[in-house]
Amino acid sequence: MGMIYLMLIVSLCIAVFFLVFFLWATKNGQFDDDYTPSVRMLFEDEPKLKDE
Amino acid sequence: MENCYHCGDVLPTPSILLDQKEFCCQGCANVYSLLNSNSLKDFYAYEKTPGIKPNKGRSDKFQFLDIPEIRARYIQYEDEKIARVKLSLPTIHCSSCIYLLENLSKINAHVLTSQVHFAKKEATIVFDTNAISLSEIADLLQFIGYEPDFGRKTEIKGIQKSFLLKIGLAGFAFGSIMLWSAPDYFGITLDNLSFRNFTAYLSFIVSLPVFLYSANEYYVSAYKAIRSRSINLDVPITLGILALYAQSTYQIFTQQGPGYMDSFAGFIFFLLIGKWFQNRTYQSLSFDRDYSSYFPVAIHRMSKNGTEIIPIEQLKQGDHIQVRNEEIIPCDSILVSEEAQLDFSFVTGESALVKKKKGDLIYAGGKLIGMTIELAVKSETNRSHLTQLWNETKDKKESNKLERYQDRISRYFLIILIIVAILSGIVWAFIDPSEIMTVIVSILIVACPCALALSSPFTLGNTLSVLGKNGLYLKNTTVVEALSEITTIVFDKTGTLTDPLAYQVQFTHTNLPDEVWGILKELSSHSTHPLSKVIHQALTNQYQALKLNDFVEIKGKGIAASYQDKNYQLGSSTFVGNVSSTENGTVFFAQDGKVIQEIHVMSAFRSSIPTLLSQWKDKRIFVLSGDDEKDLPELIALGFKTEQCFFKQEPKDKAAFISERQKLGEKVLMLGDGLNDVGALGTANVGIALSEDMFRFTPSSDAILDAKHFHLLGRFFQVSKYAKVVLKVCLGFSITYNLIGLSFAISASLAPIVAAILMPISSITVVFLSSSLIHFKFWRGIE
Repeated sequence: MGMIYLMLIVSLCIAVFFLVFFLWATKNGQFDDDYTPSVRMLFEDEPKLKDE
Repeated sequence: MENCYHCGDVLPTPSILLDQKEFCCQGCANVYSLLNSNSLKDFYAYEKTPGIKPNKGRSDKFQFLDIPEIRARYIQYEDEKIARVKLSLPTIHCSSCIYLLENLSKINAHVLTSQVHFAKKEATIVFDTNAISLSEIADLLQFIGYEPDFGRKTEIKGIQKSFLLKIGLAGFAFGSIMLWSAPDYFGITLDNLSFRNFTAYLSFIVSLPVFLYSANEYYVSAYKAIRSRSINLDVPITLGILALYAQSTYQIFTQQGPGYMDSFAGFIFFLLIGKWFQNRTYQSLSFDRDYSSYFPVAIHRMSKNGTEIIPIEQLKQGDHIQVRNEEIIPCDSILVSEEAQLDFSFVTGESALVKKKKGDLIYAGGKLIGMTIELAVKSETNRSHLTQLWNETKDKKESNKLERYQDRISRYFLIILIIVAILSGIVWAFIDPSEIMTVIVSILIVACPCALALSSPFTLGNTLSVLGKNGLYLKNTTVVEALSEITTIVFDKTGTLTDPLAYQVQFTHTNLPDEVWGILKELSSHSTHPLSKVIHQALTNQYQALKLNDFVEIKGKGIAASYQDKNYQLGSSTFVGNVSSTENGTVFFAQDGKVIQEIHVMSAFRSSIPTLLSQWKDKRIFVLSGDDEKDLPELIALGFKTEQCFFKQEPKDKAAFISERQKLGEKVLMLGDGLNDVGALGTANVGIALSEDMFRFTPSSDAILDAKHFHLLGRFFQVSKYAKVVLKVCLGFSITYNLIGLSFAISASLAPIVAAILMPISSITVVFLSSSLIHFKFWRGIE
């Protein structure tokens, strides 16, 4: 029976981890723009000019 | 290939050839070669003809951006080296735009980074302040076709971050509590009280932030409603939430059981999702524009040594200002120069130019066409005629608020709920007095109108998106309800019933030699004046254009050229000389000063009007026009009746007409396009602003209709009516669920598992039902 207490605590910790991650992502602006990044990632990478 | 490689417009003859690609104008070709030389050819790879025809602007157009106090309004961050600015670029429209704008640094190395927010049509640009100025960035953007809009927008309230946090918290609590409540539902923990108590306390802790933070909007809303002695749906919701939470807490701390904490967190989670769905808006559209976004940010004031640029707020009565071609008159003022021609189309809807002479009063809002003029300021912008018109109607809108269908239902719902609770309390007093509290609390819990609260946001929210796909953009979901109740439709004439992009061109003399037609065709193609363009279009597929020499154009007046030592002029009556007629919309074509052709250009009515009118036999229809009665015969030919048309209506008359109608109990829809309709749009139950270009300026309204979809207007009513039916079906379903729950509650047998099953099932059915009923019917569009 003691096992189930441990499992509960562990599962709650995992859930809290994801909650904190979600809160961080929201505050960090991850959900501000839900369209542009999906287009941006499809652009071809071009060979960078070695200026620096 | 028949379309411009850059912007996709139909190619004129001759087109401009570059790299074996054809372009419609030099501007497009310039952008192409600029992109080409900076290895940004991919721009043309992501979409076909992605470009925007660049607007020719004066080189000093954005000079005002270098005045420190104006510049400071747009700069978000600045240090000694770099600055960051967020610009609104209304012409962003495809993935190639994102590609080009995010690669600005390749075109100009002083731009360090740029990032596009597509939905908001904004770009955040970081640049080297020592090497490039803000005005140069604006120039660059204008050159490639993305002219920044510096009008001050009212910040669009999107979904706030705190709202997402609330949903996240509630979802977390809902899931977690569900997990450890599961054994309890099946009676597994009954013999292990210490485990049950442990999970119960855990539930209490996890749901505390949901109770205190996630649900707080409902308490506030309910409190406000009760204070103003009105009932909205949030009142029974709050009652349910409080009962649920109090009962559960009591059970947990007296160790009687785990309470209903899972249902509680689930309630809040579903309710917030409904609210989130309802609050999604069109991020790039602005429905409540302030007048200041229409006027220029800065103006040229005459001073002792030439002109200086000042912010519009610093303008004072008596100042002399300079206004140039294509600029907006910023305030009511007196004309100091000899004469001026103004385009008041946005204010009045009338596209014909208005002439003013020295000493005349010019109202703010007109656009100057032609030579630079000097004006003496009579009153400041915020006290101009136009601004006052705007402000007058702003307050009216608030009092005109619609009572939502849902709120009406919730009032009955609350009354019935209280009666049922009291009655069953009395009945239980005879059966078993110790159960009274349990029964009453269970009734409040189970009656909590979660599904009821979700019906409206999902039904109306889905309708909103269906309408949006078809070109009608509503400000919020309440407009859907208002739209379904419309009994009376009022049209503005100019620009609404007439199509500003379609013209009828009438030539008075049709028997001219082909050579003269050819000259006319060529001459008209060289002028940028709108009437000239219309004439050229009318001649597109006829006659051979001839080569002319010695072009002379006087802005806003006309254009002249020579052909085989004869001189030809095309323009206004004064331009060609010796003609007394000054009728608006008439263009004269003269050979060596002798008029050989009169061309009448009239705006055409939208072709779908007769069909629409035949669909609206059950509605009252009116036309309010600012013009005189000259168009009456045409309106009658379209299907209007004489008694439906009112002419010479001032903006105030239009608004007054609508409130008259409303006093008769009619629900009025106003369709307009110009600033002169602002009052009427604001007064009407639903005000729809018709727009030829969606992302340009529109007067404040409840909805914006893309003019291309004008013919669907009749279908929009049907969609809104259908939505109302779906809403009723969903409300019926959710009330049925509540009744089932009530039967458990009244018999004092509401186990946590019943609540935990009933609540999500009812909510999910309603959400599924409303979404599928709306989307299945209209998934192919509404035609």
